[in-house]
Amino acid sequence: MSAEVNPLTVVTPRARRRKLVGVMMEVIATAAAILAVVVLLIVVVSVARKGLPALNADFFTKSPVPFGQTGGGIKNAIIGTIIMTGMATLIAVPVGVLIAIFNTEFASPAIAEMVRLVLNVLAGVPTIVIGIFIFGLLVVGNGQSAIAASIGLSIVMVPLIARATEEVLLLVPPSLREAGMALGATRARTVITVILPTAVGGIVTATIVAVARAAGETAPLLFTSSIFANTVTTDVHQAMASIPLTIFVDSESPSVADQQTAWAAALVLMAGVLIMGIIGRALSLRTRRQIERAR
Amino acid sequence: MSTQVETEIALPRRAKFHIGDLALRVVAGAAAVLVAITLILIAYKVTDEASAALSAFGLGFLTSSEWNAVTNQFGALDLIWGTAVTSLFALILAVPIAIAIGLFLSELAPRRLRAPVGALVELLAAIPSVVLGLWGILIMGPFLEAHVEPFLHDNFGFIPLFSGTPSNVGLLPACMVLTIMVVPIVASISRELFDSVPSDLKAGALALGSTRWEMVRGVAIPQVSAGLVAAVILGLARALGEAIAVSMMIGGTLGRPSSIFGSADTLAARLASQYQGAATALQTSSLAYLALILLVFSLVANFSAQLIVRRIRRRLGT
Amino acid sequence: MLTGAGSTLVYPLISQWEPDYNTKAGVAITYGAIGSGGGIDQITARAVDFGASDAPLSSDQATACKGCVQIPWALGATVVSYNVKGVSNNLKLTGPVVADMFLGNITSWNDPKIKALNPGVNLPSTKVTPVYRSDGSGDSFVFSSYLSAVSPDFKSKIGASTQPPFATGTGAAKNSGVAAAIQSTDGAIGYVAISYIAADALNEALLQNAAGKYPTPNVDSIKAAADAVTTANADGSITLVNPPASAAGAYPMSTYTYAIVPKSSPKAAALKAFLTYAITDGQTFGPDLGFPPLPSAVVASDKTEIASIS
Repeated sequence: MSAEVNPLTVVTPRARRRKLVGVMMEVIATAAAILAVVVLLIVVVSVARKGLPALNADFFTKSPVPFGQTGGGIKNAIIGTIIMTGMATLIAVPVGVLIAIFNTEFASPAIAEMVRLVLNVLAGVPTIVIGIFIFGLLVVGNGQSAIAASIGLSIVMVPLIARATEEVLLLVPPSLREAGMALGATRARTVITVILPTAVGGIVTATIVAVARAAGETAPLLFTSSIFANTVTTDVHQAMASIPLTIFVDSESPSVADQQTAWAAALVLMAGVLIMGIIGRALSLRTRRQIERAR
Repeated sequence: MSTQVETEIALPRRAKFHIGDLALRVVAGAAAVLVAITLILIAYKVTDEASAALSAFGLGFLTSSEWNAVTNQFGALDLIWGTAVTSLFALILAVPIAIAIGLFLSELAPRRLRAPVGALVELLAAIPSVVLGLWGILIMGPFLEAHVEPFLHDNFGFIPLFSGTPSNVGLLPACMVLTIMVVPIVASISRELFDSVPSDLKAGALALGSTRWEMVRGVAIPQVSAGLVAAVILGLARALGEAIAVSMMIGGTLGRPSSIFGSADTLAARLASQYQGAATALQTSSLAYLALILLVFSLVANFSAQLIVRRIRRRLGT
Repeated sequence: MLTGAGSTLVYPLISQWEPDYNTKAGVAITYGAIGSGGGIDQITARAVDFGASDAPLSSDQATACKGCVQIPWALGATVVSYNVKGVSNNLKLTGPVVADMFLGNITSWNDPKIKALNPGVNLPSTKVTPVYRSDGSGDSFVFSSYLSAVSPDFKSKIGASTQPPFATGTGAAKNSGVAAAIQSTDGAIGYVAISYIAADALNEALLQNAAGKYPTPNVDSIKAAADAVTTANADGSITLVNPPASAAGAYPMSTYTYAIVPKSSPKAAALKAFLTYAITDGQTFGPDLGFPPLPSAVVASDKTEIASIS
């Protein structure tokens, strides 16, 4: 009996080449992923390394000093960002959630499709154009104000919140809805007392993601809140300092002190965004698990 | 006794009118109408601001490369060119990398790495553009000028593309920043698309003896190609509209340099740097005209992406 | 409280006024240094209470502003700055040579024209990179006015404006942006307001004035220019660039900088008080930043103008 070769185990040169190409492609794909992670790490580490030295108590508790002097901090910018993002959230969350409710509860599929289209197009409008729009609408004749800036930021936030809330509302099992109706509750009552509470985790996640995005937006603030005092103000009819604009202005300055302020402000902003991103993801996973369990 | 139980269970009051329902319907509907009105208002206001320039220059604005506040002559050509070049260049770099990352996350990564690496890629998208611009001006720009550009110039300087003087601002630094912004967007959509390919299709190809790459190339990519096109268009829309980081990196000059080391300007970046302090009213109006062009570009990009997605959904029956 | 916006040239001075005026008069001043062009735009749109510009309003801008007065409230200068490895401070240049650099006619630092002015200096062959303001800028107006006055070529090709159509070089926003660009580019030449030279330790070029001298830009040479030119233009502005040869020590790119306020404003009383402070007590902060005090004749005519605001 001659030794028989199993044809299935013969490796032809062609097969070898195909396998080589396959491995090469996998290496490239892995390298691409590594590249992305490396770039992220480079940016984050640079910001941390350059920004940390400037983070001291003064940085958070003092406002900027006059031209030529040293010291000071970005207290006015931190408070300004918190107030303006907060106001934008107060506008965007009700509007976004209501739109999602409209789409899932009241709209016909065609209308819901149109609303989604409008939301996606609005989400794609460049933020600099939004800034110009709000400037022409609210600032001309009246002056810059935190309110105008907040409205601009809310335009950026609404599509994000509306889309994400709609996704969560759709995840809510129809059985919950039907149960509410079967018990005699009205549509509105069912939505408010049954569906929204179930989806609240997802809405909170959507809000956190939108807040993280709005806190870092610069373009809507350029023409609506760029003339601000070097002191803390809580008057919403005045322009307020903000962290993104502080970074923007100080980054173009030749003074090392200003550049360091920019790095430190970027570090504070990135830390906030990252923390919100982590919390958002954790919440999102938890909500999904909860809803899955309710099915 | 049974009749008592039957009457106790009421039927859903579908037909009965309730004020709460109406109120919620009206309020929710109003919110939906509000966003539509906002969108229309944005288009209207920008067009209104641009009206002086529209009547002064008409469509010739799109083909003129003048930008002179002294003679009051303005044109968008150099800015459209700058926008197109930076966006396309960023896409050429970003799309292969992003699709590769999407593949990695969907097919190649060990299960335990998928979530963390996916999260890191999404974090790249979460970096505010002003922070990327800061990093670009103070770290990446000087690095490009000191190491990358001289290397390209010395070794490939015979190609006009690499023939200029190295600089820390210009087309190349701006394109790099845009690439970093576009990659995560296209990557996360690609990953979702590849995840959505039915596993029996993938398994079938592999069972027939394809390598994983051949399966991707022959089955997965064709399956999701329309979605990938939509993802690329969304990445393009992102690149088109980026004002802040680009304005910090691009040098803010007119002209259409043949070298990627040269400086130029884009529609969005010019708006960021000049809208506030235009020298003449016609210049302000011309800047609004630039905003209108930018708005039209991003609307077209977004609409096309939406249409493609709608067609895919219809085909899949969802 | 008063809100204003505009010139980055006068910003260092205003930033000293803010806390001082708040202590003295209890009024908070909020100022946004967005460039002279922005200041004019904002006050025209009545989005702020006062604008600040180193460039006087053009006739179109004056019409659009609907009854604004421009009040010179500080005296300063724009300075040519450069950054060339191996070349130290105080390089001598003339207006026509600088014009040629910004027109693209002189492209390297060892050009014979520059060498002729600086015989002892070892000039490298580095490429000349002009840096200019990309935003609407009073410093651009001063710079381009001066170059237009001394170089017919510059005047016909580019001209004087807050946003001159420079054909070559790199643009940067605000004085701080130009200063940063100059610092980070070998071979750069640009123009910045005087306070930024000392604050950022930049090189300054010595420009030849009409008398043939190379005065250092400082309060004395700026004052000499202001003393030499006392007649106002039709719109009330005073042009200090390129003063006559009779002023031997005058710095050729000096400039007044103006507060632009509406003749009738709901905040007239507060504005008048602030402007009066600015042209009197506020001037004491000037010299340290490179601003000589306003000449008394200008202060007097300013007071008349201020009185006309209601």
